[in-house]
Amino acid sequence: MGKIFRYECRRLLGNRLFAGLGLILLAYGWQVLRRVTLLGVAHTAPFSPWSFGDYLSRMLPLLWMGALFFLTRFTSAEARRAAVLTDAAPAPPRQYAMVRCAAALAGTALLALACLAEAAVFYGRYFGWRQWGTLLLPAAVTLLPPLLFALGSGWLLGRLRPWLLYPWMALPFLLRALPLPEALGLWNGSFFTRYPLSLGTLDPAFSLPAAVRAAQLALLAAGLLALPASAAGSRRRL
Amino acid sequence: MRALDRFRRELGRLLRDRLTGLAVLLTLLSPLAGLTVYRPAAADTMLTRFLANPALAGGVIGSLLFGLLAVYTLDRARRSRVDVLADAAVSPLTTALVRLLALLTAAVLATALTMAVWLPVSLHRIGAVFRGTDYVLAYALFMGLALPLSILAAAAAYQFTRRADLSLALLAAFAGLGLTVWSDSWQLRWLSPAVWALSDDFSNDRLFRTVAYQRLTWLAALAGVWAVSYLCIRRYGKGALGSLARNARRVCRPAVAAALLACAATAYAAQPFFDHSNLDLTAQALFELPYAEGLSCLSRTYQLFPDTDAGTLTGRATYQFRNTSGQGQTVAFGVNPGYDLRSATADGAAVSAVRTGYEESGMALWEVSLPAGETAELTLEYGGFPTDWNLTAVATPGEPEISADYLCLENETLAPYLLNVLPGEDGFPTTTEITLPGSMTVIPFGTSRAELAAEHPDGTRTWRYTSHNAGGILYAGDYVREDIEAGGITVEFYYGRRHQAVMEAAGAVEAVATVIDYCTAHYGPLPVSAGGTLKLIQSRVAGGGYATDGASLLNEADFTAANLADTGKGGGAGEVMIHELVHQWWGLGRMFDEAGPDSPWSAEGLTCYTSYRIAKELYGEAYAREAYVELWQQEVADYYQNFYVRNPAYLASLPEADRAAIAASLYRCRQYAEMPLKLLRAEELVGGEAAMDQILRELFTRELDPLNPYLTYQDFLDACGLTEEELNLG
Repeated sequence: MGKIFRYECRRLLGNRLFAGLGLILLAYGWQVLRRVTLLGVAHTAPFSPWSFGDYLSRMLPLLWMGALFFLTRFTSAEARRAAVLTDAAPAPPRQYAMVRCAAALAGTALLALACLAEAAVFYGRYFGWRQWGTLLLPAAVTLLPPLLFALGSGWLLGRLRPWLLYPWMALPFLLRALPLPEALGLWNGSFFTRYPLSLGTLDPAFSLPAAVRAAQLALLAAGLLALPASAAGSRRRL
Repeated sequence: MRALDRFRRELGRLLRDRLTGLAVLLTLLSPLAGLTVYRPAAADTMLTRFLANPALAGGVIGSLLFGLLAVYTLDRARRSRVDVLADAAVSPLTTALVRLLALLTAAVLATALTMAVWLPVSLHRIGAVFRGTDYVLAYALFMGLALPLSILAAAAAYQFTRRADLSLALLAAFAGLGLTVWSDSWQLRWLSPAVWALSDDFSNDRLFRTVAYQRLTWLAALAGVWAVSYLCIRRYGKGALGSLARNARRVCRPAVAAALLACAATAYAAQPFFDHSNLDLTAQALFELPYAEGLSCLSRTYQLFPDTDAGTLTGRATYQFRNTSGQGQTVAFGVNPGYDLRSATADGAAVSAVRTGYEESGMALWEVSLPAGETAELTLEYGGFPTDWNLTAVATPGEPEISADYLCLENETLAPYLLNVLPGEDGFPTTTEITLPGSMTVIPFGTSRAELAAEHPDGTRTWRYTSHNAGGILYAGDYVREDIEAGGITVEFYYGRRHQAVMEAAGAVEAVATVIDYCTAHYGPLPVSAGGTLKLIQSRVAGGGYATDGASLLNEADFTAANLADTGKGGGAGEVMIHELVHQWWGLGRMFDEAGPDSPWSAEGLTCYTSYRIAKELYGEAYAREAYVELWQQEVADYYQNFYVRNPAYLASLPEADRAAIAASLYRCRQYAEMPLKLLRAEELVGGEAAMDQILRELFTRELDPLNPYLTYQDFLDACGLTEEELNLG
């Protein structure tokens, strides 16, 4: 399976889609950092976990889109035609599906890492600031649940109807325009601009209220459940 | 002919597609969002609410839909795996061009359909101030030109990448930048242009010109990018670069692409609407120029010829100087950066006039050489398309308006402004002549009165007035005048003829009288410097106002039909008018010393405080607290908690442009919010409103020292018996 994983990774990452998405993300990210993050959010420093979270939440719609684009390579009509051959291979279909998910996950993680690295360069160059450890928690909380959910839900939808992935890409853009309740504030980024102001102190340490934690855990759980569920749906064609 | 036939067939196919129908239908409905959830233009005028916002929403939503439709259409052959066959039958270059034209035609049809469907709705909602020209221009510029931009961007992305997925990602990122990250740049926000208000009562020519320019710049840029992508259309099994080399053999193709991109870059860099003033708002370099020794200005004459069709101004300014220094002098002028000094002559001989390149506070610094000689008559011929201060580019674009309907010329936009020359014994005696269409009434902003000097056979009229101020402001338009007696003075109230019904329904005359009576009763009568009269002039919808000796401004947005219909707004109407009228007492009746950039003391503090007191008396304590005190508290809290205010070392380490932009965003808070709160604290410490009124009355009516007539912070503290520390906000 390791060989198949490497092969799928090479197929997914060694093409123009991955390179193109990477370039788009880096260009967009630099604009966000220079024009928005530089000012800081909620009276905090540009390099505070809150400002950093705001940056990531602005990048999230594009990362979400990228993750779903990776899935289109496995759910498209072409991939379904090729499935006649892969199904005939002696690998168990469920494991094969999981390996493909893992490859998509690896691609998405690399894109996210590119965004994080870009922020690191920005903070170092503009502020000489290098305490990256404080930013790990907001990065994990902001990116992991929605991106895992994107892959899980996207895989399910793609298996149902491949074209459903395209309207699904619009979801985070739509969420950014909607006035969501506070508990779902991480889904559209409003959490990073509002919650620190409600804490009543300057430069508050990063924390998550229980409702937001629950919402993110639910999203993470939904993503983790959807992934094996969609893989379980992979049956060998007879 | 064959290409035309292909276009016809492609258009027919596109229009029969169900997805095209869906895109057109959703575009048709999209102005609804501008009436409900997406309202980027904030002003309360009827045209803003029921025309600008629907058209802007239509532009954003429609262009995204047509961008998606473009990717879907261009990817059709590849998706169906007939691209190889189709390319063998018809040149892919021809196909790309035909498809683009078909998509653009569909976008034009969608815009026309939207305009037709929304016309009766707009007519009904906007009412008496509806104008067909505004309607057509708003939909054509705000919405119509947005659709081709998105189509070009999406088509270019597809032709570069030949992938629907990457094209969609590129389009999403580009739209995201335009709507959010680039929203603070009027030139970059390609999807939703910077429109904050449309005037009901006067023309909107300048704003429409600004948006048209921005749209056309983007159109040229994206057409150029599309033309480059056109060269990358894959042929003969080659990759992007191989195809580029093959397609570029016809020199006209890369030449067109280069010309379009060069055109866009030039248009971007040489935009004529906003200047390049120093972003540091505390910079005072132009006002701190040393005065030319032994040089004084005895009199000035301006002759102005606005071109109301082109929005430009041509003028001739003549200055009489006395030069006792016995040597040549360099006279510094602040000139609107959009103007050029076309000729400079001293006593008939040409002299050098050099633009230094420095711009500040909406003025470009020019230096003109004056030869030695006891007297000299300097004549400057100038003109051009005036620019607006870059400070207003996103917040309140659309000024200065020069049209056959409305005109406002302020200081350096009226004539070259003397920066380093002292006046003679009589101040700056100035005669101004302006020639305008016959329907316009000229109103000098100040104590002067304009007289009709001549009527010309072409229907234009020349007006003349004299003044003695260093600068000068001139309004002209189709105005109605109403005289109001209040506080022992006569207020000449000028407002636009189209606004008459709203002014009467809003009780504007009574509101003006109430404010003047209040200030007179609490602080004392105004000094009668203009024969006991005060002009109150309605301006086009603006972000604020100003006042001078003998005149105050009333913003069109103070009294609008929308305000009248909004019962929940309580006393919210008329607040700019209140603020500017109060300036007749604080700032003009009593002048304030120039506070340093670190001090909150200025006329604005007492004016804001007095406006709050008037609002409290007129509309109740609850309203005044919510509309004034709570806003100040919020602003001051935001200011003190701002990261860069608390950590100036980080601000200092930023690149200069970023530093200036951040400092500019923090500048106003101290004068307009912190000082009024300090005054509220002083009111509390001196024993309440009555005691504070008594102190302010004494300060207003005190005997002035002619050498130092200014009201300083220390004067105020001494009158209150307080120290600066006691007014610190805890």
